[in-house]
Amino acid sequence: MLIRIDPSSAEPLFEQVGQQVRALVARGDLPVGTRLPSARDLAASLDVNLHTVLHAYQDLRDDGVIELRRGRGAVVAHAPDHAPLHRAIAAVVAAARDLDVPPATAVALLKEALR
Amino acid sequence: MTTPTTTVPFRRSTTILTLVVPVAVLAGATLVAASWADDLPDPVAVHWGAHGPDGFGGLTSAILPMAVVGLLTSVGFWALSFWAGRSAATRRIAAGTSVGLAVFLGGILLGGLAGQRGLADAHDAPGLATTILVAALAGVVCGALAAAVSPGDPERPATAPIDPHAPRLALSGSERAVWQRTATSRSMVVVAAVAAVTVLAVTVVTRVWALGLLTVAIVALIATMAVFDVTVDDRGLVAKGLLGWPRLEVPLDEVVAARATTVVPVRDYGGWGYRVGRGGRIGVVLRKGEALEVRRTGERVAVVTVDDAATAAALLNTLADRARA
Repeated sequence: MLIRIDPSSAEPLFEQVGQQVRALVARGDLPVGTRLPSARDLAASLDVNLHTVLHAYQDLRDDGVIELRRGRGAVVAHAPDHAPLHRAIAAVVAAARDLDVPPATAVALLKEALR
Repeated sequence: MTTPTTTVPFRRSTTILTLVVPVAVLAGATLVAASWADDLPDPVAVHWGAHGPDGFGGLTSAILPMAVVGLLTSVGFWALSFWAGRSAATRRIAAGTSVGLAVFLGGILLGGLAGQRGLADAHDAPGLATTILVAALAGVVCGALAAAVSPGDPERPATAPIDPHAPRLALSGSERAVWQRTATSRSMVVVAAVAAVTVLAVTVVTRVWALGLLTVAIVALIATMAVFDVTVDDRGLVAKGLLGWPRLEVPLDEVVAARATTVVPVRDYGGWGYRVGRGGRIGVVLRKGEALEVRRTGERVAVVTVDDAATAAALLNTLADRARA
């Protein structure tokens, strides 16, 4: 798995990490049972605070994306089928491009709708 | 392939560890065995079966096979490390195996003969189980010692930029990135599990409990050799076994270029595991197929069989670019 973060972005680092793991799991790039790197290793690799990664992992666990097991670390959990959601997102992206809506605006609308 | 421009380093210590020390051990064992000639029965027991000694011959026929096998192995590993020992891992594996095997063979010879001193008939020779266990243990310890004193790799930072044609990844200046993947060898797990169960069954049937230790060794081998965590980040490439060892590391500043390639384990490395392959390249070879190949300074090459190697190679090149800019 490839994880990239941008410290110059306004978005908190733990959310950046969490979102990428979410996306990888949702796309099927990280199948159920995949072991994620330990929080310590990931924090060292990204040169961020350990608590940043732990925060991301705890959010992911709370949302049922991963399981945190003592000794085994973080493991991708059994997730429901997200295919309909991906189709809907593809439709939203297509509509936004058709209407020349900038990505930031589309994301803002989506965030508003999910609130 | 590429023309060699630098010579293999540490040739003197390599020659001492892979050739001089093992040959001295074998010669010493031979001399000690020869000095016992008057105390030994003639013929001596040279082979043991499940119910004690079952093969007999002159003292020479006890010494010769050990000396020949030991000598050939030593010369082989000396040649490997002399001409292909660019990486510390190659030199360590060569020194460890060469010394370890010489000690093991010498130990078996002397242990087998020691029990026969003062006997009139070699048929009364005691069993060999303890000798094998002690010799194997001594071989492992001495081999590990030889590997440990083998010189490591000095730092050799690259001076040239990464090959512009090597794969890259789009990464903005402020972004940080990590690529991580676990590489597992299913076949190694299966083979090792079958081996462990077989040895365990043999242990119970023959009641040679020392064999149980072999089971432990097999399980330990699976744990260290069948699963590797592979990481690419701004420190470079690290592939480490489940217990954190063995470890294959390429610091970012020693990366010459990385790419995805294909590995055929037996053809390229003579098997699976942490291996030395053709031309002294170091491989973490867990399966056939896609692999990350990193060319490193000092004409060294490191290879890890892992999925999604193209992304790993692109990230490694991109991070090395950035660090060298």
